[in-house]
Amino acid sequence: MPGRKAWMVIILLVIVSPIFGVILADRIGYHEPLDVAAEKLGLSEKDVGYHTPFEDYTFPGLGPVPGYIAAGLLGVIVILVIGKLLELAVSKK
Amino acid sequence: MHIPDGFLDAYWVAITYAATLGYYAYLSASGRLRLDTMRVSLITTLAAAIFAAQMLNWPIPGGTSLHLLGGALAGILLGPAYGSLTLALVLIVQALVFHDGGLTTLGANILNMGIIAVLTGYYTFKYTMKLMGTPSSKSLFITGLLAGWASVFLAGVACGVEIGLSPRFPYGVEITLPVMGGWHFALGIVEGVITGLVLSYIYKRDPSIIEALRTLGV
Repeated sequence: MPGRKAWMVIILLVIVSPIFGVILADRIGYHEPLDVAAEKLGLSEKDVGYHTPFEDYTFPGLGPVPGYIAAGLLGVIVILVIGKLLELAVSKK
Repeated sequence: MHIPDGFLDAYWVAITYAATLGYYAYLSASGRLRLDTMRVSLITTLAAAIFAAQMLNWPIPGGTSLHLLGGALAGILLGPAYGSLTLALVLIVQALVFHDGGLTTLGANILNMGIIAVLTGYYTFKYTMKLMGTPSSKSLFITGLLAGWASVFLAGVACGVEIGLSPRFPYGVEITLPVMGGWHFALGIVEGVITGLVLSYIYKRDPSIIEALRTLGV
């Protein structure tokens, strides 16, 4: 059974993630490889009418670094909630 | 490797969604997805770990980055069916909550990273492990390295084929396949090293949780 230690590691990964995903990415000029290809080809991401307040791992009202951490924590929480709902559903079977 | 909206035309959107939904329907109908609370807990924890690990993208000059995809690792740890379910959970959350990867291309992204990468990683691990004989932390590292590399390489090839055959993308498959294949041939090495290190560590701690080893009877 995955324990508390595994979740501590996951939280730690999210906390240090802006070092790579924001700070170093800005310094080096990183974009998702397929976005780079699209830019070079003059393609733009098609707007399919779907928007989220957390677009590209940002968080409303927060700067890039705290926003990236908050977005990461949100993603982990969403996965955890889906997992708990699924656990509830299978335990009732 | 997350394909954004607009890269695939309607025809390829339909094909990739159909292939992906068909695969999960097959897994469910054939009894390969028997969920219990323990299994769900493992899937949830691994999905959260892969999600968090994917946020640590190490940028490299030239506009790309190195980060774990996690398909091989999930397949080897949980088996191909539950591994695919784990990656699907990660990719759905990334697409719906963060719009990382398009909605129209979600079928293709799950096909590449949640099915092709997971199956490639699992079977590469299984067959190379058979050749290596008795498992050890060293053999786990080597087989994990091969499995991780092969999973990213083949997923990259599949991605190259999909966007190359899609008329919306200005270059044909004769260009996209070697570019995506070549790129992911190199990026796969990093995936392999991380997969190998994690498997080797888990083997030393508790080999019983590696599903692919259990199916080999070792």
